[in-house]
Amino acid sequence: MTGFLFENAWMIPALPLISILLIGLFATGSNARVAGIIGSVAIGTAFLLTCGLGLSYLSSAEAGASAVTWSIEWLRYQDHLVVSLGTLIDPISLLLLFVVTSVSLLVHVYSIGYMAGDEGYSRYFVFLSLFTFSMLGLVLAPNLLQMYVFWELVGVSSFLLIGFYYTLPEAIAASKKAFIVTRFADLFFLAGILVLGFFVHQWIVDSEWGGVTATALQSATATQALDFATINSEPVLANLKAQPGVFGLDLLTVAMLLVFIGAAGKSAMFPLHVWLPDAMAGPTPVSALIHAATMVVAGVYLVARLFPGFAASGDALHVVAAVGCFTCLFAALIACTQRDIKRVLAFSTLSQIGYMMLALGVASAEHPAGLGAAMFHLFTHAFFKALLFLGAGSVIHAVHSNDVADMGGLRKKMPLTHATFLIATIAIAGVPPLAGFFSKDEILGAALDGEHHLIFGVGLFVAALTAFYMFRVYILTFLGAHKSDGAAKAHESPPIMTIPLVVLGVMSVCGGWIAVSQFVLPGVELHAHLLVMGLSVAAAVVGIGAAFWLYGGQTNRAQSMADSMGGIYRLVQNKFYIDEVYLLVTKMIFRFIAAPAAWFDRHVVDAAMNLSAAVVRWFGARLNVLQTGQVQTYGIWMINGTIVILLFLWLVQR
Amino acid sequence: MHDGTVATLFFYLFAVASIALALGVVLGRRLLRSAVCLIGVLGSSAGLILVLGFEFIAGIQVLVFIGGIVVLLLFAIMMTSEGHTFEQRPSAARRVMGGIVATAFFVVTLSVYVHTDFPPATAEGLAVSHEDVHAIGRKLLSNERDGYIVPFEVISLLLLAALIGGIVIARKHDPEDT
Amino acid sequence: MFPTPTITHWLTLSALLFSIGLYGIFTRRNAVGVLLSIEMTLNSAILNILIFNRFVASDEVDGQVLVLFIIAAAAAEAVVALAIFVSFYRHRHTLDVTQANHICDQGNSTS
Repeated sequence: MTGFLFENAWMIPALPLISILLIGLFATGSNARVAGIIGSVAIGTAFLLTCGLGLSYLSSAEAGASAVTWSIEWLRYQDHLVVSLGTLIDPISLLLLFVVTSVSLLVHVYSIGYMAGDEGYSRYFVFLSLFTFSMLGLVLAPNLLQMYVFWELVGVSSFLLIGFYYTLPEAIAASKKAFIVTRFADLFFLAGILVLGFFVHQWIVDSEWGGVTATALQSATATQALDFATINSEPVLANLKAQPGVFGLDLLTVAMLLVFIGAAGKSAMFPLHVWLPDAMAGPTPVSALIHAATMVVAGVYLVARLFPGFAASGDALHVVAAVGCFTCLFAALIACTQRDIKRVLAFSTLSQIGYMMLALGVASAEHPAGLGAAMFHLFTHAFFKALLFLGAGSVIHAVHSNDVADMGGLRKKMPLTHATFLIATIAIAGVPPLAGFFSKDEILGAALDGEHHLIFGVGLFVAALTAFYMFRVYILTFLGAHKSDGAAKAHESPPIMTIPLVVLGVMSVCGGWIAVSQFVLPGVELHAHLLVMGLSVAAAVVGIGAAFWLYGGQTNRAQSMADSMGGIYRLVQNKFYIDEVYLLVTKMIFRFIAAPAAWFDRHVVDAAMNLSAAVVRWFGARLNVLQTGQVQTYGIWMINGTIVILLFLWLVQR
Repeated sequence: MHDGTVATLFFYLFAVASIALALGVVLGRRLLRSAVCLIGVLGSSAGLILVLGFEFIAGIQVLVFIGGIVVLLLFAIMMTSEGHTFEQRPSAARRVMGGIVATAFFVVTLSVYVHTDFPPATAEGLAVSHEDVHAIGRKLLSNERDGYIVPFEVISLLLLAALIGGIVIARKHDPEDT
Repeated sequence: MFPTPTITHWLTLSALLFSIGLYGIFTRRNAVGVLLSIEMTLNSAILNILIFNRFVASDEVDGQVLVLFIIAAAAAEAVVALAIFVSFYRHRHTLDVTQANHICDQGNSTS
């Protein structure tokens, strides 16, 4: 895999980095308008480079090939423990590159319209470019440590963007919540990296003494302990699997579970999902880019990167499947009851990422179809979910409210937004021949092939729920009568905002026709299950029908049904009170650990400091009188000192 | 040392003169008188240097130290119009402390000198060479290992800096002249 | 009647001159007086160096070179001190060093 584009793949993340500098240096004051243009041009170039890279990969490399095309050594600890920066090109990194650059480009263009006139216009684009840079660095990372560095950078830029409206208390609270929750999860990720790094390095050193390195690891590049190529190689995994870990688990499972907790934090899996709904306090295009299409799938990407490890562990993969399965059901249920359009989309995102995790979980070394399906769903989901968010942003922009109860009847007012939103809704509901149908179908097929019947059932139910809640939002927003003055006065957004919608609409329609699974997993046979197809279409139709039955007419069916469910409905609407549980736990921590610690700090640690300061001050006051400012007095004391030293030296010498 | 007896005589003569004049410098209440005494001290020192056999340095002492520096100090006295005034007596405490310190310094130094075994002076060692000036000149401008060319250049820079600095500091600052 | 001066005699003379100079530095109230005393201590240092040059290392001329440097440094010092005194006197109308311990709070009254 050689060629100009491969060896210069570093340019793709470098372009947004340059754009940060350019915007920061030049797009200030009255020049702020150029920020959006600089950002868009930089991302656009990165997108073109990605396309070129993809095309030359397809034409020149053999299917499924993987190589580190560019690398510089950063830190050398030991011969086999070197941290390097590099670019890893393989099908999934190319896939993610394409998704990130294309969605980021569209979001940049959209933001030029959406953020126009905002005070923090150029700051916004700096953050957006920073995020894109970090995400691209993460995607291209050839080793765990580089991934971790960019992983944290992504977290920081997400924090900055959620808290973009820093005058709003809820935005600040949401940004802190997102940062702390993901940071908490990242701690486990770091622990996982350390465990992997330590034991893999030990194994390499041991086997080098035994002289097996050359045969066990084929290429010289695969002898670095933190490289994915090394970690994913069979002898390493077999060795880790053979070592005992903790709690009766083997070492590999422990490491993979630690890594998975990090992935779950970033991908907002239950029970670390609490930050994502709140993260909607940021600007809507940010939600589209970070909290729907790219950052939240980083966890899925990480699991896919280390998939051989998860597959070899087995137990870890079951955890992935269970967590994904539970999250997708749990989030879909909550999504049915929310009134804030962005929150519905946020829970829908949770549910869909749960779907991807589920797909990864049902895959195995023998049946890797789930891996391809997860990547496929990641690909299609990125487009229709970004479209949904951008469409929602367009609606919010027009109505000035997030509440679906304030909308209604926007179909005539905003035809383009309506049309694209409808496409995305149908796509996510899984109606053929739109994108969501194919990827969802593949996931369900993979679950059935893996003989995970329970997971298959849940998946099918969630597919129906997805269709239901998405059409609920669609009906409440676009159909019926105007429910507020804002909705009545709404008008279509400017072309700079609708063009990205149209492009994403096209991708949402056609995305499913691309054989992503074949690209990711060449040679894996996919059987078309007519049964699965039929069932999933039926589920979608049931969901859509239910939505129209409940919300389509002028009746109060939805309200009466909610009333009849009573407590359960309230439980779901309040997100199963998970936030309250967290609040309780943090309050307990505050009362029983933080408060005593603060007391100790204030009354013992500070008191000791104050005491020492008081002692110093007392001596200072005593010594103060010596500082007369009289040069001659100083001179006398100086000569006194000189004489004493002279005497001392002389007496010592004798 | 020229002639032993003459040299001894001149030594004691200049020593007594310089000590007496030095006391005049530090104890006098009039600045101008002190300055004149200082000229006397420096002159006696030049005589002592001559007794030691350093004709060149003695000449420099008279020309530069007395002719240059002390005249500069006289200027300072005149410009600050303090020449004709009596200086206030220092406080008693200051005088006592100063006396103790000066005496202590002298006693300590003297006891060090007394207890040190200096190499005995030899006749040829004390012989006065009249080639000194050439040697000084060569040494001062030599860039060999034991040459002084670098300090020489540094000191010339120092003098220049002092010259400019003196002008800048003493200049009358006009508030409107920024 | 007097013994022939040895190195100890010479050094004692130089030390005595230095001590007298020290006393002057510590007790003179007028800054120019302090400077006069400083020049005297410098003079005794010159004498000291020359004594060692004569009695300990009479083959060398390094002592004399050093003395030239001291004289040059003394000249530079005198120039700067003179300038400071003139400036100081212009602002405070006195050269009493015992009253020179409040330079900072005079800052606003000077031009």
